[in-house]
Amino acid sequence: MQNKWDIDGHAEPHTVNAETEKMKSDLLTLNMGPQHPATHGVLRVEIKTDSEIVAHAIPHLGYLHRCMEKHSENLDYRGVIPFVDRLDYLASMSMEWTYVAAVEKMLGTEVPRRAELLRIMTVELQRIASHLMAFGTYALDLGSFSPFLYAFDEREKILRLFEEVSGARLLYNYIWIGGVWNDWTDEQLQRVGDFCDAFEPETDKYHALVSVNKIFLKRTVDVGILSVQDCFDYGATGPVLRGSGYQWDLRRNMPYSLYPEFEFDVPVGTGEHGTVGDCWNRYIVRMREVKESLKIIRQVLKKIEPGSVMGKVPKVLKLPKGEVYVRHECPRGELGIHLVSEGGDSKEPYRLKVKSPCFTHVSMLPLMAPGQMVADFVATIGSIDIVLGEVDR
Amino acid sequence: MSHAVPHNSVKHYFAELWSAVSTTVRGMWITFRYVWGVKIVTVEYPEVRIVLPERARMRLFNDAQNCISCTQCALACPVDCIYIASEKYPEGTELKKASNGTPIRLHLTQFVIDTALCCYCGLCTTVCPTECLTHSHDYEFSQYTIDGMKYDYLAPDVIAWRDRIVKA
Repeated sequence: MQNKWDIDGHAEPHTVNAETEKMKSDLLTLNMGPQHPATHGVLRVEIKTDSEIVAHAIPHLGYLHRCMEKHSENLDYRGVIPFVDRLDYLASMSMEWTYVAAVEKMLGTEVPRRAELLRIMTVELQRIASHLMAFGTYALDLGSFSPFLYAFDEREKILRLFEEVSGARLLYNYIWIGGVWNDWTDEQLQRVGDFCDAFEPETDKYHALVSVNKIFLKRTVDVGILSVQDCFDYGATGPVLRGSGYQWDLRRNMPYSLYPEFEFDVPVGTGEHGTVGDCWNRYIVRMREVKESLKIIRQVLKKIEPGSVMGKVPKVLKLPKGEVYVRHECPRGELGIHLVSEGGDSKEPYRLKVKSPCFTHVSMLPLMAPGQMVADFVATIGSIDIVLGEVDR
Repeated sequence: MSHAVPHNSVKHYFAELWSAVSTTVRGMWITFRYVWGVKIVTVEYPEVRIVLPERARMRLFNDAQNCISCTQCALACPVDCIYIASEKYPEGTELKKASNGTPIRLHLTQFVIDTALCCYCGLCTTVCPTECLTHSHDYEFSQYTIDGMKYDYLAPDVIAWRDRIVKA
């Protein structure tokens, strides 16, 4: 979109009249956040508004910066896992798995089949939990409160299962190098199946409550449109890219782990109510992904067989010299872990670089904001579903 | 949707109005059904407590009588919140044995965990050879000062908690 507000190129005022005119056309600087509930964490967006219209939006990051990458250079490979947990704290399982996959790729560890299936199951459950959170808070952003409570009710059941199996509700430290920490009992797997059956009708409720609601449609349709070309230029991934109508899912396009064995669709934005790539499409992609995740979990429950959940891993981990880049499809997009090891006697990573999907999506805000109403800008931030723990690291 | 209908027509106006009213009523009906017959999912916390799962990771507790001062937990800790000091027993002392039969060769003189630093990852409990360091189910331990979060597991009052804190 052409930006008609040129903040830097104001002409010099020569007369009093010109100065008054300039004051009328001046932009008001407004800070959204860092303590603003609509920014989903500690994000500060400096917006320049022309009355109710946003002219510029500049995200300011770093309020949740914890030096995670530098810290991990002084930790042993197992000790990094609690730190990667805290990247995207709403989808810790996915974060853990990406990091662990990078270490395993360098070690050349064989992961037992049961452990790999359990990982897929936990990560897909986590995806549902994360998308439920996105759904609930997005509805909350747009002024409807009760979907948030319904979403949390279901999310709580997933978290309870995770708590029973790993011991923590959010920061699990469950997926370990070589396998997973604890095995799921048959009773717990049965409960996962029961949850899937009970949860499927709940999604219809969510659609009736939010997806087709006229107020919701008015707030999201044709708001914050991203073309596929924009997504490519900025490197957007995950639901943001799929919401723009481009079918790209690492689980399908560059399969890792046991994903080639599973049947599932990759939902894309179809633009039933307006333009492809608007907020509504990004939202509906998430809701459809939840159903695909349920499909995968059901297939896991059919395939699962007894066995060990921990592969053979040396007690003291020393990685060979080299580097590896692993990327996985996380609920918010594509997480990449670049791990460099010195080799020799070193027990710590030489460098750990995290490529965060949310960071990419936050940098797209200046592209989407100009020309929007302030209230629509809130809808735009909510639709890209960012977690600041991952943006700032 | 009603995109085929021109946006300025009367028909479009009423179609919009109808869809707004009908979808809102549909949503409100879902909420309305929660007035009766739906089980309450929240608990009133101080009076009612949810039973924690067996593996729940809450405050750490070290059974000092069983500890062999191997410092493996301190090495595994990613945030370095465990402080251990020990000294050798004098020659000829009869060595006690830990619960798994390992002789306790070192006299534990300090075992402090800074709970304010602890990130409850559970890595220290998995490396403990005698399983004396465990996560208890105790989660109510807020303090007025940050120093109060440092727990000395050799202090008599903490040892007295043993029966209350240690998992059965």
